[in-house]
Amino acid sequence: MKNGALLIPVVLGWLAVWWMLPREKGRSRILGALMALGALLALQVTFLPPVGNVVRDSLFYLFSGTAILSGGLMITDRNPVFAALWFALSTLAVCGLFLLNSAPFLSAATIIVYAGAIVVTFLFVIMLAQQSGASNYDHHAVQPVMASVMSFVLLGALLFALQEWGGIDGKAADEVKAGQFVAQDAKVRANIFSQPPSSNKNEIGSMRVLGRSLFSDYLYFVELAGTVLLIATIGAIAIAPRRSQGTL
Amino acid sequence: MFEQVFQWILKWLPEAVHPYVMPMLVIAIVLQVNLGVCSYLILLERKLSAWMQDRHGPNRVGPMGLFQPVADMLKLLLKEDVIPGHVNKFLFVLAPGISVFTTFLAFAVVPFGPVPDGLTPGDGKFPFIIAPGIDLGIVFIFAIGSLAVYGIILGGWASNNKYSALGCLRASAQVVSYEIPLGMSVVGLAMLNSTMSIEKILLNQANQGLIGWNIWYQPLACIIFFIAAMAEAQRLPFDLAECEQELIGGWHTEYSAMKWGLFFLAEYTHVITISFLTSILFFGGWHFPLIAEADSAYAGATAVKVFVLLSKVFAVIIVIQMLRWTIPRFRFDQLMSLAWMGLIPLATINVVLVMFVKQFELNTLWLFPLSIATFVIAGLMATQSSRPFARRGPAAVEPAAHGGHAHAH
Repeated sequence: MKNGALLIPVVLGWLAVWWMLPREKGRSRILGALMALGALLALQVTFLPPVGNVVRDSLFYLFSGTAILSGGLMITDRNPVFAALWFALSTLAVCGLFLLNSAPFLSAATIIVYAGAIVVTFLFVIMLAQQSGASNYDHHAVQPVMASVMSFVLLGALLFALQEWGGIDGKAADEVKAGQFVAQDAKVRANIFSQPPSSNKNEIGSMRVLGRSLFSDYLYFVELAGTVLLIATIGAIAIAPRRSQGTL
Repeated sequence: MFEQVFQWILKWLPEAVHPYVMPMLVIAIVLQVNLGVCSYLILLERKLSAWMQDRHGPNRVGPMGLFQPVADMLKLLLKEDVIPGHVNKFLFVLAPGISVFTTFLAFAVVPFGPVPDGLTPGDGKFPFIIAPGIDLGIVFIFAIGSLAVYGIILGGWASNNKYSALGCLRASAQVVSYEIPLGMSVVGLAMLNSTMSIEKILLNQANQGLIGWNIWYQPLACIIFFIAAMAEAQRLPFDLAECEQELIGGWHTEYSAMKWGLFFLAEYTHVITISFLTSILFFGGWHFPLIAEADSAYAGATAVKVFVLLSKVFAVIIVIQMLRWTIPRFRFDQLMSLAWMGLIPLATINVVLVMFVKQFELNTLWLFPLSIATFVIAGLMATQSSRPFARRGPAAVEPAAHGGHAHAH
């Protein structure tokens, strides 16, 4: 099997996360950390990026290491407040990676939406709900096996796709231009909803091109997403107040 | 002069570090100046407060109390640094650090003088900005500003104190709400100038002269931006999170010595950033008719431009400090309705007005009367209609009171 080597990091990673998931009796953290380290080491055999500029590389490893570490700590921490904070840190690290890849707008928007609003709301709710400390329910994970297996199956699929794609090097120019991980077949390409945007690929990442593409190539989807959000807002307003309690 | 000295210094350093020398120098200068300015702004605020309340203010340390900041700083540094029992120590110590870090980071894209064209790393031109050439400076500032709330939330939560917890809950609701009008108020600006870069917005204004200042096109946005930014900085009249009469100190109740000082350093840095942004985005930055035009090239023009910009910033800071004793603190429901029922609809209308003018290619000066008219109409609607929040309280209890009354008869 060509991609068999992928199984090692995925299984090791799954074991590490499953081992470290919060439960009544704490388990050896060192063992979990060793397994996670083993998974990362097994992964770097296939996915280590080429060495380039020293500053860029060290920033890359700083951001990606922080993202992976805080992502793991987010699901294994027993304290929900800390879990939310690890989530925020993980988001920030990913935003750093976006910046490194010349996508400043994506980075700033992700910080504003995730770290600045969503995680703050999480913290808000956690603090309001648990003023007397974490409740018993937070001390063990619900369905640890199912959750971790599912997420690592997804991760395995993602890694498989990445490996199949194999990076920009050695790709046909039009394939790279289309920005596709896996080559599409003609039937998929004929569907109007999967047409690649017409804008110039060289300028991708700049806000002007992004906006132009959003409001010309993807106008229909933007309007659709806006409508869904509007409906959700109206629904929330309709559900939230209770007439009987005098809150409307 | 500066360039020669800089090149001379560069000769002594290895080639690999050359691109990093100038940014480091600018960062060091900005940090040091900022620390000094913050401590003297506190003195200024105390003197202004004293003047507005017909007192003397601090006048014992040095001539006219001018050494008071030094004494304050020594006190903050030497005071016992208490970490109360039963607090989450890690987050308790982390919180002031986050506050200072985020406010300083936001300053990275704010130009504090005329940014020269065609900067390359190591050419020895003083850039007057920490990170030149950032295409979306405004968005960057909002992104970093949205992280500032973590300092307050974590400080309040880790303190394990009811007052702190209430303060941090208020703060998070307030900051998350006011981010929306803050962001929307500059959308019109970005559309008019077709850029999000703070440097380019400044240059656009300077190139057009006095009539190019954005205040003539976006007066309403300026007011909304200023109010929302004050709320983001938790300054009076928006300091509900640290409301002394109700919450002792709010989120910083349990903090003492330099950790408390760091929170206030962050607040003052935030005030400075707001003032820079207001004067750059709306009042032309370093541009001033006759003495600091875009093409003025006399000797010392750069110094004059820096002086003009700093004077504008100083004027805005004075306005912010005088507002402290002019407008009383809002009630929480007033605060929320101001954001959601006042500023956000007004900011949306402002954006629509800009779109209208751009779409039908009207003269952009039309925006001035249109904005003023919107503001006046909104003001009339707010004052002349029945006030929903004032009415709601009594209305809920009225039926019961009436019922009792009827029974008695």
